[in-house]
Amino acid sequence: MADKKISALSSATTPLAGTEVVPIVQSGTTVKTPVSAFTGYSPAFSAYRAGPNQALTTATFTKVQLNAEDFDTNNCFDSSTNYRFTPTVAGYYQISGSIGLTGTNVRVIASIYKNGSAYFRGIDATANLSQFTVSGLVYFNGSTDYVELYAYGSFAGTSDISSGQIYTYFTGAMVRSA
Amino acid sequence: MTLYEKIKSIYPELEDKDFVDVICLQNDSDGKGDYIAAWNHPSLTKPTNTQLNSVV
Repeated sequence: MADKKISALSSATTPLAGTEVVPIVQSGTTVKTPVSAFTGYSPAFSAYRAGPNQALTTATFTKVQLNAEDFDTNNCFDSSTNYRFTPTVAGYYQISGSIGLTGTNVRVIASIYKNGSAYFRGIDATANLSQFTVSGLVYFNGSTDYVELYAYGSFAGTSDISSGQIYTYFTGAMVRSA
Repeated sequence: MTLYEKIKSIYPELEDKDFVDVICLQNDSDGKGDYIAAWNHPSLTKPTNTQLNSVV
């Protein structure tokens, strides 16, 4: 086949699926690699509590049931059963969460759990905050690692996790491959 | 009565600040309810299910 300038190629008419391959030189040898291997095609998500408000027990770390998604590029967020993000591409992800509480609280904490254990704790305030956050960089192995968002509130009476995307949300995106 | 209230009933001397790192109560929103995820109190022993169930 005769050499052909890239500029002479036809433009793609449909969005890339990630399964297409491109040539790349690795250790002096030209090999093919799928488009999905590039960071731009890695998982990103934005989930939130759509309602109703979620009941919280005082002094108890409670997993936030994030039951709606703004976007979930690779279907890696489970918004119906386990409310967790399990990316299928190994790498380092920036994960952020925000929690809104309705009641009068004397202490609030937002925490990211990785594989079922507390991994990052964000705001830990002995104050009546109605909105608090947590964020951090997390490594995922691309198969079994997952993260979840937990809320803690210490209060008398009742305090619920606020529904609404602007109050209670959980987001993440890959920033570097493994 | 919540698990927190039961523990406070058994050990009234516990303070709210103990219920973060010393004693960690957790609910995984899986329908199984609250449970003691960690108990690291230096002198008080973790209550048994019998003790917890006897609190009304």
